[in-house]
Amino acid sequence: MSDSQKRILDLLAEKKISVDEAQRLLSLTEPDKDTGTGGAAESAGAKGKAKYFRVQVQPEAGSGKKSVNVRIPMALIHAGMKFSALIPANASDEVNEALREKGIDFDVRNLKPEDFEELVAALTDFEVDVNGGREKVHIYVE
Amino acid sequence: MKCPPLLLRLGIGRRRFPVWLPLFLLWPVAAAVIIVLAPLVLLAALILLPLGWGKSVLLSGLMFFGVLCALRGLEVNVNLGNRLVQISFK
Repeated sequence: MSDSQKRILDLLAEKKISVDEAQRLLSLTEPDKDTGTGGAAESAGAKGKAKYFRVQVQPEAGSGKKSVNVRIPMALIHAGMKFSALIPANASDEVNEALREKGIDFDVRNLKPEDFEELVAALTDFEVDVNGGREKVHIYVE
Repeated sequence: MKCPPLLLRLGIGRRRFPVWLPLFLLWPVAAAVIIVLAPLVLLAALILLPLGWGKSVLLSGLMFFGVLCALRGLEVNVNLGNRLVQISFK
């Protein structure tokens, strides 16, 4: 139970608000899954597990035949991410040093598989549409 | 249990019809090579253990197998008008 819900019940106990008002306020404090307040992982679960990351570049009608259609399985992205576990501790130091030389202050040891999972789950809602006149770029997860 | 891709559809250049490569014919050969190399990999892992690379050497094989299995469903189709690139793992 959240603090706001406790506060509403306290107000009801003190008879400062009616039962109907308390009920209405409590309904407002409940997490609304439809609005995406449950986080990326919840929304990904609601939509179903993403299987593919798609990149499509389609030409506009009459502007040539050039097109790109790439379909990357999410399992491949997951498998690639697991490679970070292979980095030994001393190699991480070298990578960090190389990154620092490039002006990037980042510790690769802070990369956790859970973070990747969250990122991939968040990709479920990811969609980019670019209409550049001659081509139409569509990046999405299905 | 995931399994590696069985077929590779490959079409590069001006070829209109892509070639279907039977990858499933390669896997028994690859398995035989892995079995032969396994003792050497174990030895390398033992040697590299003090340097911190031992675990990586042992896990890398499994990781590569994971990537190989995950290739199923990968599709790349690039049409540049006069040239075509089609790669598809089935």
